[in-house]
Amino acid sequence: MSSHREAPEISKDPVADSTDVYAFVSPDHPSTVTLIANYIPLQGPAGGPNFYEFGDDVLYEIHIDNNGDGEADISYQFRFSTQVLDPDTFLYNTGPIASLGSTNWNRRQSYDVTAMNGYSYATLASGLACPPCNIGPLSTPDYASLAAQAVHSLGGGVTVFAGQRAEGFYVDLGSIFDLADLRPFENLHAQYGLNVFSGPAAGVNATDQLNVHSIAIQVPISSVTRPGHPTIGVWTTASRQRVRLWDADNGENVNSGPFRQVSRLGNPLVNEVLIPLGRKDLWNSLPPSDDKQFAGYVTQPGLAALLPALYPGVFPKLAALVASGKPRADLQAILLTGIPAGLISGFENLTGSVLADMLRLNTSIKPTPASKQSIYGLLGGDVAGFPNGRRVTDDVVAIELRALAGVTYPLVDKSFTADAAAAKLTDGLTPASVSSPYLGQFPYLGVPYSGFDNPS
Amino acid sequence: MPSHDAKRASAELSRRSLLQGAATVGAAGLAATTVAAVANPALAATARASAAGQPRLGGERPASSGPIVVHVRNAKSGDIEVFSGTSQSRLRDKDLAARIARAIG
Repeated sequence: MSSHREAPEISKDPVADSTDVYAFVSPDHPSTVTLIANYIPLQGPAGGPNFYEFGDDVLYEIHIDNNGDGEADISYQFRFSTQVLDPDTFLYNTGPIASLGSTNWNRRQSYDVTAMNGYSYATLASGLACPPCNIGPLSTPDYASLAAQAVHSLGGGVTVFAGQRAEGFYVDLGSIFDLADLRPFENLHAQYGLNVFSGPAAGVNATDQLNVHSIAIQVPISSVTRPGHPTIGVWTTASRQRVRLWDADNGENVNSGPFRQVSRLGNPLVNEVLIPLGRKDLWNSLPPSDDKQFAGYVTQPGLAALLPALYPGVFPKLAALVASGKPRADLQAILLTGIPAGLISGFENLTGSVLADMLRLNTSIKPTPASKQSIYGLLGGDVAGFPNGRRVTDDVVAIELRALAGVTYPLVDKSFTADAAAAKLTDGLTPASVSSPYLGQFPYLGVPYSGFDNPS
Repeated sequence: MPSHDAKRASAELSRRSLLQGAATVGAAGLAATTVAAVANPALAATARASAAGQPRLGGERPASSGPIVVHVRNAKSGDIEVFSGTSQSRLRDKDLAARIARAIG
């Protein structure tokens, strides 16, 4: 997955588990940038009566580095509070919820938004309403309109939303985590002599009909960039206080001490696929500026070595590249420094020499019209897509698989030609594999699936 | 690798107030007690320099009325952490650690 349950410790703490980060120039408001951080993975829509919600005890942040040092220059902090109107009922709602002010909605959340800029901060808003979860036709009869009420304009070109959304990240988890099987090519898999697959098969979107909780903020580009430096680095973190103590007398947790980071996400799949199991929890606790120690996992990725072994005879050129021991400077540029000018005509998103996993977005590049977008982003000739930021529809699984397989290595070594199969790698999914359509406007991710209708 | 917490400068907690807390310690190495009025400025939430993995807080909630949690990391060396609100202190006090250890039996 992009970053769902990607490390041992955070997989036990879904409320603080970041799943995806998106950063893109807003297609309908191109003077702004939209930043989205998703949390709480793999939500079954029918998960009541205590439906999913943000953690009141978690500090959620979206960070921006605009000077290339891998440290946050601007951080948007989100703190949530839960209110129960009637503790004497077990019900999440006692009747239809027609508005965010409905007294039928028994357990609700609100949040504060704070902007940190260096050592100063400003509270942008307090007590903003989250929408309820999408329950069904009796409880949330017009969910799309209800959720739209939770899109808050804060003035100054800032818009925020925090609440449940349809999972927009499409991925065939079932096959990928079955020893890197890709269904469209599974007949080419070594299969360990088991001969399970005789031909190619269509991909299965394992995250379809599941929800996440999104924190989305849209801000003017001019408020997050420095003059003459249009590229920003974006990541999200979740932090918890160091002490969590079960107060048995009162039946609640007591938290104390300073906050410490427990989850981090910039580029998709980095901690999930590149960082080894024994260091994933550490990676989650550190800022991007500390990523130099992990650079070897990017420049000598284990999956690049696995592909030729798992798909015998399919990736001979990749096998030779791996055997050469040459560091993958292409992957380092894509994931850790940004792509310098001169490698791709008319494009760059270099932030400097600091090795830091951040989602880098060159905000001076205008959004590509929907009809001309490529879900393969830069690999598809669309410079407004991943790894120039990340749009909600970008096929980051295919892009990163192809890059790992050597498609991007000619950027740094023109004598190298990738295997023909490398440019075709996919798990067989597209944005059409997501049942709830993406939106054309903020917050861009689709209406969450209702518990009544899903699973159907 | 030294912990990030170990790298941080620690604020001094009143030894007296800690002893008062230790006297009512419960039955665990991670001892907690609620002290209603610990008015120690050193424990107030402060915007310290951001160390690795430690976020700076904006609009912090009041920290003075919550529990104080004492963590004796190593009773032998007297290495103690004290948590309150969103702050922590670290001190080395063998006598105090020994008293806490005796208090929990």
